[in-house]
Amino acid sequence: MGDWLDANLVGVVNGFAIGFLLFIVAVGLSLVFGMMDVLNLAHGALFLTGAYVGAAVVGGDASWGGFLGALGLAAGLGLAGGVLLSALTEPLRRRSHLDQALLTLGVTLVVAELLVIAYGDDPLSVGAPPGLDGSVPVLGAAYPVYRLALIGVGALLAVAVFVLVERTDMGALIRATVADRDMVAAIGVDNRLVRVRVFAAGSMLAATAGVLGGPIYGARPGLDATILILALVVVVVGGLGSVRGALVGALLIGQVDSLGRSLLPDAAPFVLFGSLALVLVLRPQGLFGGRGVARA
Amino acid sequence: MDGQPAGDAEERSAATDAERRSMAREAEPRPRGQETAQRPVGPEAEGRPVGREAQPRSVARTARHGPLLPAGLAAAVVAGLAAAPLFLAPFATTTLTRILVFALLAVSLDLLVGVSGLPSLGHAAYFGAGAYAAGWISIHTTSAVPLPLLAGAATGALAAAATGWVAVRAHGVYFLMLTLALGELLHQLAQTWDSVTGGANGMAAIPSAELGGEPLRLAGYVYWYVLAAALLGFLTLWLVARSPYGAALRGIRDNEPRMRALGYPTRIYKYAAFVLAGAVAGAAGGLLAAQERLVTPADLGFTTAALALLAVVIGGAGSLWGAALGAALVILVRDVIGPDLDGHGTLLLGVVFIAVVYLLPRGAAGLVRRRGR
Amino acid sequence: MTPASFPGISRRRLLGAAAAVGGLAALPACGSSVEEEPSGKGGKGGKRAVKVGLMIPQSGTYAGLGKDMKQGWDLWLARHGGEFGGYKVTTVTADEGETPQTGVAAARKLLQSEEVDAVVGVVNSATALGCAPLVAEAQKLLLVANAGAGPITGAKRSPYVWRVSFQNAQIAAVLGEHLAAKHGKDGVYVIAPDYAAGAEFSAAFAKAFKKAGGKVAGSAKPPFATTTDYQPYLSKIRASGAKAVFCFFAGAEAIAFVKQYEQFGLADSVPLYGAGFLTEGAVLAAQGKAALGVRTSLHYSDQLDNPANKSFAAAYSGKYDTPPSVYAMQAWDAANVLDRALKAADDTSGDALGKALKGLGTIDDSPRGSWSFSGQNPKQTFYLRTVESKGGKLVNAVSDELGTTAQIA
Repeated sequence: MGDWLDANLVGVVNGFAIGFLLFIVAVGLSLVFGMMDVLNLAHGALFLTGAYVGAAVVGGDASWGGFLGALGLAAGLGLAGGVLLSALTEPLRRRSHLDQALLTLGVTLVVAELLVIAYGDDPLSVGAPPGLDGSVPVLGAAYPVYRLALIGVGALLAVAVFVLVERTDMGALIRATVADRDMVAAIGVDNRLVRVRVFAAGSMLAATAGVLGGPIYGARPGLDATILILALVVVVVGGLGSVRGALVGALLIGQVDSLGRSLLPDAAPFVLFGSLALVLVLRPQGLFGGRGVARA
Repeated sequence: MDGQPAGDAEERSAATDAERRSMAREAEPRPRGQETAQRPVGPEAEGRPVGREAQPRSVARTARHGPLLPAGLAAAVVAGLAAAPLFLAPFATTTLTRILVFALLAVSLDLLVGVSGLPSLGHAAYFGAGAYAAGWISIHTTSAVPLPLLAGAATGALAAAATGWVAVRAHGVYFLMLTLALGELLHQLAQTWDSVTGGANGMAAIPSAELGGEPLRLAGYVYWYVLAAALLGFLTLWLVARSPYGAALRGIRDNEPRMRALGYPTRIYKYAAFVLAGAVAGAAGGLLAAQERLVTPADLGFTTAALALLAVVIGGAGSLWGAALGAALVILVRDVIGPDLDGHGTLLLGVVFIAVVYLLPRGAAGLVRRRGR
Repeated sequence: MTPASFPGISRRRLLGAAAAVGGLAALPACGSSVEEEPSGKGGKGGKRAVKVGLMIPQSGTYAGLGKDMKQGWDLWLARHGGEFGGYKVTTVTADEGETPQTGVAAARKLLQSEEVDAVVGVVNSATALGCAPLVAEAQKLLLVANAGAGPITGAKRSPYVWRVSFQNAQIAAVLGEHLAAKHGKDGVYVIAPDYAAGAEFSAAFAKAFKKAGGKVAGSAKPPFATTTDYQPYLSKIRASGAKAVFCFFAGAEAIAFVKQYEQFGLADSVPLYGAGFLTEGAVLAAQGKAALGVRTSLHYSDQLDNPANKSFAAAYSGKYDTPPSVYAMQAWDAANVLDRALKAADDTSGDALGKALKGLGTIDDSPRGSWSFSGQNPKQTFYLRTVESKGGKLVNAVSDELGTTAQIA
């Protein structure tokens, strides 16, 4: 019994580490959809770009300079990528989600292929910076320090995004746009700049998450799809367009992916999509999804 | 906002009494177009009197061409397809067979996406379920035509019926995600249910389809079998899309609350469309088992579903025949050009995705409509 | 904006559609698909030339393996004047992709459109099984240079499909016997991904291990291709009290598992054993220090001390600036075997080549050491390899021989 508790308490801690990372990836996806009604399937490609930046700059033996440099570079690339994606999707604003999905899926395929051409087919690894690359005992078993640090960084970022969206003027405009795009446009507020900024900021977070996730996931072809699917599940479970939903969804899916596998080993392949289906059956608009998005 | 008034002249001229009634009584249900998944947004979308413009034009167009042109064209295409194996080498014939199989999947998906406004990301699951069922029957019972095909269709319908009631409750992106989840769950099931599906190694060595006790071994005979079955499938879907029921589905796609207010049981209508599309996709899977004689979990995976959606969008959602054309392009890129690209097939596919969205906003069907005007 | 406001675009779009339709015309036309074709026409008479289809993954998860295989294949041809048994060789490379959907289509293209005399390669086992009816129909040889599923040369074998690589169960069984002697009484934990190959490795290991008196302390099968975090499984291994672990992982999963095995503190207390792919080729460099001390079984290591391997490894490293992996060696051996078979065969048909392969006897100049066909699968020696640091680089040092096996039923 004691062993069981030990094993699963570690699982809970681990679920938080994965969950906060997922939040950093997913919050941009959620807000971009909520504000612009754009389903950005290229979000995974942004993460992958960050991961390869990490692998190229940091490599297996990390230094703090390299790691922070990679974070900065990925953030810059993410910003640029977000602006570009926002320009690409702007002409499709009034078209169906399907068209946007196909466009951004096409962008993903192209970006992923270009990364493979640049960095090769082999999976690459990213080291954790010095001091964070060891393990410490947690509940009697060794646990990687980096994942504990990830929980801290993730929590900080979550608070920052939350304050920005819930407590500032720009945040108010973002929330208003999510709630009723057309009304914001109708009362004469030009929110184009805010839209581009949200797209850029969300993309920046996704790309930096690629570096942050590097010591866990590495960089390899196909990682974009894995992460995109996790992020999509997170935002849909949480409810599109909601920061709170993204946070709760991410922490929930983090636990499902960590604890769910150890509690239900035989159902492990089904827990992720099973929980998505379950949430949507009980609440077709996600846990925190408003009426405004569900009708879309 | 794009009203695309004359673009859907054909549909409108084919509109049934039910649709006309609803048009007359209320403001026009929103004209069809690519924005099918969305409700009208913004002031300009509502209440534009496009319908009154469209009606006379469509009448004029029908009068100009008559119904003979499309019918003649269809007959010529069918005749050409039927004669193809007499002139084509086996590889080209097999490629055409694969195109037909994939086209049937794409057209069945178009019934959901284009006609009913239900963009499904999990449609390949019913295709794969049908393929496994047909393969299983062929291995364990009989591969006599048309039993595996019927088993495939029945299994596709059953799988769609079992999962569809959940899916049609959701809307828009949530429908997209829910169908993705359902598709992935079935994909995982195929991967893990070793004893029936063969797991990741797939269901291999499926016996050839048999007609009158004779196995169909040559590529040409397999092709003719697939062609006959696929044409039957196309015809079924076309008749459904033209029927009053099809018109009601279009009404639901354009404005579900209004159709509900008019007394249509919209959810049941959508559910029936979902099951029907699942049955046809299952039949396409049955044809896949006969042609490829191998079924693997990849056949019901996300990639297959996404490629089928791409085919629909290339063709122009809602036109049905356009989806078949799109399927041809997708298979050519993947099977004929792809293997020669030193692994850069995905790059080409990505470029096709992007190009189609920008250059063919109404798909291939949009081209023809425009020329017709 | 109505479409009418862009009249200029329509022509371009029409051109696009025309190009799409034109694609069909690009297919090799002419001929007929409703007549029996005389098959098995070989290279007898006229110029002696052979056309070989090299089918390897160039995209997707396995693309790295494909690259190694192509290099091994090219190296053999470059060092032997581009000839197999007096035939001038033309190689047509086709992308196998990740799944049988792309793989079987590529094989069909090679056989029916390129009309190759033989197909070599194939990484994915499902693709190999799916290609079997195709090559049987065309009566051509398929020489599998990686895919390890048992049925390929076992229950579902075809006279046209031969394998120069390995059977999954072979690799696991020899390690099962070895571990039973070493850690049998303490209990060994078995973990492999939840798909066909994973199941073959786990089952073959457990069977041989138990037969030799070993005790399985527990087992797990993480979902294939979707598991990136092994913490839940590592906790279970710790809780099971096992004194050693046997695992099968490859590619990105191998990197993640080995790194996390060390990060969660198991590497110091519970020795990790696995099928050789765990530390083979590019994954070893990515695992870094975490891989030190990991022990695996395989039919090859670039560290093997025999003359054939020394010359192969030196030539390979010289040309590609990286040591050869088992995948490169298998493609090299495929070329070697095809060379010998073509020397002995009457023509290039699948039947003639199959007959020649049957009579090949011992392949005595392979980098993996001497081996021979037993049935249609190699009977070969397996080695215990330990990851060590040599001159600042990680290598799979050969620490023991685990015995010789043929196909395991």
